[in-house]
Amino acid sequence: MSEEREFVPKIVYFMCSWCGTGGAETAAAHHLRYPENVIPSRVNCTGALPAVHVIRPLIEGADGVVISGCHPGDCHYDDGNFRARRRVALVKSLLDTLGLEPERVWFRYVAHGEGRRFVDTAAEFNDHITRLGPNPLKTRSDT
Amino acid sequence: MPNESTVLIYGTNLGGYRAAYALGKRGHKFILLNRGSYVDEEKYQALAQLPLDFCWICGHMPQRAFKASGAMQDCYNAQLLAVSGEAGHFHVKFKKRDKPVNNFACTECDQCIEVCPVEVGEGKAIRVVPEAGWENCYVIDFEHCTRCGACEEVCPTGALKVERPEEVVEADVGAILLADAFEEPSDDDLRDFGLGQGPSVIRNSEVARRSLLTNFVRDSVRLPSGRMPQTFAVIVTPHFNRPGVEYENYNLSVSAIYRAIRLKEILPEAEVTVFLHDYRGTGKGHHQWYMKALDAGVRVERAETLSVVPDETVEEAAIHYTSLEGESRTQSVELAILVTGQSPPSQMEELSRLTGVQADENGFCRLRPFSCCETDVDGVFAVGELTGPKGNPETVWDGCAALTEMQRYLGEKNVAPGAAPSLRDVAGEPTRVGVFICSCFGQFDDRMDLPGLVERARALPGVSHAEIIEGCCTGPTIQATAERIKESGVNRVVLATCTPLQKKGKYDKAVMTAGLSPLLCEYLRFREDVIQVHTDPEGMLMKSLALIRGAVEKVKRGRHVSPLVDTFDGRALVVGGGLAGLTAATEIAANGFPVVLVERENELGGQTKYLDEEQREYVKGLISSVNASDNIACYTQAKLGQVEGYAGNYHAVIETPTTPVSVDAGVIFVATGAQESLPQGFLYGEDPAVMTQAELAERMKGGETADHVAMIQCVGSRTPEVPYCSRLCCNQALEHAILLREQGAEVTVFYRDIASYGKTNYYRLAKEAGVSFIRFPGDDVETGYPEVRRNGAGLEVVSEGESHPADWVVLSTGIVPDAENNEALSELLGYPLDYEGFFSSDISNYPYEEAIKKLTKPFELGSNGIFPVGLAHSPRSFEETILTAKDAVGRALVVIGKNKMPPPNKMFVAAVHESLCMGCGVCVDVCPYGARVIDEIERVVKIRPFLCDSCGSCVAICPNNASYLQDFKGEQSVAALDALLV
Repeated sequence: MSEEREFVPKIVYFMCSWCGTGGAETAAAHHLRYPENVIPSRVNCTGALPAVHVIRPLIEGADGVVISGCHPGDCHYDDGNFRARRRVALVKSLLDTLGLEPERVWFRYVAHGEGRRFVDTAAEFNDHITRLGPNPLKTRSDT
Repeated sequence: MPNESTVLIYGTNLGGYRAAYALGKRGHKFILLNRGSYVDEEKYQALAQLPLDFCWICGHMPQRAFKASGAMQDCYNAQLLAVSGEAGHFHVKFKKRDKPVNNFACTECDQCIEVCPVEVGEGKAIRVVPEAGWENCYVIDFEHCTRCGACEEVCPTGALKVERPEEVVEADVGAILLADAFEEPSDDDLRDFGLGQGPSVIRNSEVARRSLLTNFVRDSVRLPSGRMPQTFAVIVTPHFNRPGVEYENYNLSVSAIYRAIRLKEILPEAEVTVFLHDYRGTGKGHHQWYMKALDAGVRVERAETLSVVPDETVEEAAIHYTSLEGESRTQSVELAILVTGQSPPSQMEELSRLTGVQADENGFCRLRPFSCCETDVDGVFAVGELTGPKGNPETVWDGCAALTEMQRYLGEKNVAPGAAPSLRDVAGEPTRVGVFICSCFGQFDDRMDLPGLVERARALPGVSHAEIIEGCCTGPTIQATAERIKESGVNRVVLATCTPLQKKGKYDKAVMTAGLSPLLCEYLRFREDVIQVHTDPEGMLMKSLALIRGAVEKVKRGRHVSPLVDTFDGRALVVGGGLAGLTAATEIAANGFPVVLVERENELGGQTKYLDEEQREYVKGLISSVNASDNIACYTQAKLGQVEGYAGNYHAVIETPTTPVSVDAGVIFVATGAQESLPQGFLYGEDPAVMTQAELAERMKGGETADHVAMIQCVGSRTPEVPYCSRLCCNQALEHAILLREQGAEVTVFYRDIASYGKTNYYRLAKEAGVSFIRFPGDDVETGYPEVRRNGAGLEVVSEGESHPADWVVLSTGIVPDAENNEALSELLGYPLDYEGFFSSDISNYPYEEAIKKLTKPFELGSNGIFPVGLAHSPRSFEETILTAKDAVGRALVVIGKNKMPPPNKMFVAAVHESLCMGCGVCVDVCPYGARVIDEIERVVKIRPFLCDSCGSCVAICPNNASYLQDFKGEQSVAALDALLV
């Protein structure tokens, strides 16, 4: 039990350059903290995020990947967030084959002004992955 | 003496900002006078009426670039003092007081807030107002500020001065644009709705403001006690307020419906009732939103009168209302949200005194007939809510229309972008990465071990240099950083700083001054991701190192690329010679650009049979100026045969009765119009006493009248086949009804919703004239419509079992798109139609998206140089048709005339590894901007530079990894990811 409590997941947070990073900047302006173990990574648009980029961290030892783009209809490029949503659905179906839980990947909408929501999303995902436990690939010897 | 080229913009409404943006882009200087003390202190239509969680009104403006090029001068706490001279040569005098904090020198370190000794509520006397896109604004609450000066002392860059002097400035300008902002009605104006009398009545704008920085609606509607309400009322107040207190634009009922939908989304169990008199959603997609609300379980209650009595102690409010049938009812809710209208502008009298503009009978600025923004005074223009209760799209269109209309008073362009610094090609040089870590003027030193981090960074593979810099966001520090980059001899840069979304331009500038392309640089957000997230120094160090490692791996693989440039043809093609097409053609030609006008009929003018005398005269005037213009080539009995190419480079073939003509153009205006919908049923065509509104107008002109006239609204509008409101029929019917009443006829109007809008309140006038109104159950289109029957010699209209005799039955028919023609043209141009069958614009998930998108994403070429105008765009009145045309011309003027153009994001464009590309074309389909095309000979994809907004859709979709963004290549980003996770 004690071991489980000490588990600090490694989380990659992909955010788009518009609403995603904007949310983070608004959060910072309000001195809102997101969990320390979340590693931010910026992409221009979530629609520009290839499936490889979502799976790669999970293979490289991350415990979860969360992606946040603009709200529906608010994408800087009109429908990049919808493309990302579709792609994430696809990735989730692949994760099963890899022996990973699909819920290790989340896709969320966070607007530029929603600093609170940005921080909440990171924290919720962190709790979620902490409950889910470490990435099983890390302990498998056959990969 | 040539005319002045600068424009004075007084006020900051949506239209004013839009005009400012277009002026700056076109190359005119402008002075922006803001009455408020920071960028959006004055209320905005967007925020007051849009239940959106953002307003990017100021953020869309490239303020830094505009200021650097001298295009923009923004003044705060400003007041216009005097105006003299005449159009083209105004001399203006105004006073202003700068903001306490100079954005250009502020690093947003927040030290001023930390040292401020004065507590005000939860904050301090100096606080930050986070702005999307614009710099965060630090504002001082002067009521509580003790002028102790602690913040001034601690400011590391001297950006803060508590007291700034008031300055009087004089300037010579060519034109004046009045764009005073939206004013919300006061609490007293809303006293009948219980505002301020209890905790359970709130304004819609307040909900929007609260949701702006919280977890959206959930928290924004929470009651003071912390309880989440379960019963809501959304009330459109101008429908029930005393006359003349607040004015309604057609946005309001849409806002109410939209707010209700959002509430249902967040709280599905909640009971939401919208109280209004009529649903007046007359814009694109508005009817669909109405139906969506009904599907979501929102109750829409139509009331004749309404008042709200909140309980002072319990969080509850009683809504007393009378139904349309005259029945008194009461409903109790936990939260009543008031969607309020607009007060008449408070500055009108002062502006009238200074500039000579005149107010209309309602206190709004009067405009000349058939103009969009011209006031009674030459060279003085007015836009947006200053000129009347306008919907958001019209307000936004006003901005570019003003640019079009003021061209004739303005001199030559007076802003030229500065020469870009020359950049060094680093190909062939050994990779030397420099890591520059910002200490934020020493502030970060206290928080983390910067020298230790520098040591560790220097040890990373590939890093040849690492150092601490003071900052990179003020003039001197940008210069110093550039020097340091140059001196250190590195050819790749990692800048560990903060807020790149706001400051990226500054960082790019530093790197480019050092002679390196921004493609060789990566910015990290130490303040957001390290300093404000971690509490212990060790955690900070590890996180910083991980971020630096990732960035180093990325920049190592970066390549220098020169920005692409493409040509832009300065000619225009206008398809359709009706009012919209004629307006577009004459305005473009008046600015010296050649125009080709194509009309399929024998003569120009379009469907004039629906116009009145004055309007016909106006169209005739346009036709003669088209014929007289040397810049316009006109082809009648002609149609578009073929179109190829893309924005700036269109090649079209026009089929004329004689020989085909080939035409080159940079932009295309689609002004093909629409048709009157012909009614089916209602005995139309069987009985001569059943007619359309247009036919009624003809008969009235012939002097005919009848004793009993019945009008049926929404015939062929807002049905499953025609899922929109045709916008014009209500006003037209009411006008006719009033005229018939004056001749003594009894007039009864059968309606679902009276969607009259605009400056003249025809609805009220008709009621006062004694026209009777009978609502038929409109939401059920199958059974709802009244029936027209023969009754002896006359007719009768039967609605809900009741018979109403009539001599004439007039059907208010709508406007339908010319489906066949639109589809063919849509195919030919590769330009989509919307679900209503008109040419598409950016409508999507928000009901006002069209307007807001044009502000927030003012990418002129987002529609690939094709501009639908007039009835081809949507049902529009005569004046609005002119407005859409002038708006499109304004947007086109920004780009045509620039012979060569770089991509909007310069070097950050998509590119293709041609050796990997197999020409499958999936990226062509996925590109939202039509920026990609398959080269049929080489079978690879080519990029059209200035259409590419570098979204990266093509990168993700490419099955071969052939597609990449110059700063987001697979080999870069995957390596960076791996390094992040080490």
